[in-house]
Amino acid sequence: MSARVLLVEDSPLVSSALKILLESAGFIVAVASTAREARELGIEHRPDVMLLDITLPDDDGLSVLRSLEAEGFKPQATFAMTGHTDAETRARCLEAGCDDVLVKPVPVKQLLRIVSEAVA
Amino acid sequence: MRLMGDTHSPAVSPRLDIAAERIAALEAQLADSQRLIMDLEERDALKTQFLSNISHDLRTPLTAIITHAEILRDGILGEVTSKQRESISTIIAGGRQLLDMIAEILMHARDSSEQLTLVESEFSIHEVVEQVTALNESLVAKKGLSLERYLSPSLPPVRGDRDKIIHVLTNLLGNAFEFTPSGGRVWVDAGMAPEDPHNVVMIEVGDTGRGIAPDHHELIFREFAQVDSSASRAHHGTGLGLTIARRFVELHGGRIWVESELGQGSRFFFTLPVKHGAE
Repeated sequence: MSARVLLVEDSPLVSSALKILLESAGFIVAVASTAREARELGIEHRPDVMLLDITLPDDDGLSVLRSLEAEGFKPQATFAMTGHTDAETRARCLEAGCDDVLVKPVPVKQLLRIVSEAVA
Repeated sequence: MRLMGDTHSPAVSPRLDIAAERIAALEAQLADSQRLIMDLEERDALKTQFLSNISHDLRTPLTAIITHAEILRDGILGEVTSKQRESISTIIAGGRQLLDMIAEILMHARDSSEQLTLVESEFSIHEVVEQVTALNESLVAKKGLSLERYLSPSLPPVRGDRDKIIHVLTNLLGNAFEFTPSGGRVWVDAGMAPEDPHNVVMIEVGDTGRGIAPDHHELIFREFAQVDSSASRAHHGTGLGLTIARRFVELHGGRIWVESELGQGSRFFFTLPVKHGAE
């Protein structure tokens, strides 16, 4: 069965690219562009992997992970995506429960490898 | 009869009046200057905020461009010819170059607005030089440059912010590669500083490139300064690389400078104090 990915990314320019990429590799992809939408889709779709932009228009992206956990759900793997490379941001994401922190733009081969390994 | 304590004596009072007037004028001037400084500081903070915002907003479309181009390059949407792949790869390389410049502006904006702190650890200069030069090997080969390393074997470990020192070295080497024509030499030399051989490490990045006129030796470390600011200038860049490098070196208690003449190549030096023993 194909693995499900929830892509949380507020820019449609970026999410359209990542959606094409992940679907080409056979994943079923749902896209959320706000934290609110991500919470709803997270509960509804129960994704295996969540790719989480940590800067969202309505809330801190990491709050999505906390909300889902409070609802009793945690994806197999969650990867934070951010433009910031600093150690502080990284530590904050890992502390919130992300499995790794990816710096945007994530090279496409690397992204496919990471997601595939997470659901293998 | 004249009274000793008579302050209304005509010989004294005009002087006192003049002095009081001057003090009042100076106080008014001081208040003006203070207002001006506050105003300038406010504007500087606004500029920093603007740079930070714009840099951040530039990243998103650029991320989309690079990611879409990579998808095309890797044939995910269908086979591409080798010529097409070459063209797409240029889009990606250009995008990544822009991204690096934006990162530099963002770093500068953040550094200006916040108190910078060092994340200190003990590390070997050898290792840092190896890491930075290894990353540049393909560029060096592509430009037909030779890259030489002269690392003193007895160099003690340095205590400092490894990432920031890597940034300084990457920046100096990047400039050396950019301004040295094909067939030229670039070198890194690390040893103890002659003026204080027990406590200070000195690192040199030299090249046989076009050199820098002595008039410009200070200018190049200034914010946004580029020696050639004409619209037709051949070299890109934010003009922030050396400003950031200087800030990072000085934060470590070191010094950075250049020795160069036009047409004679350049030698950039920076020093780092060795901190003996753990904190």
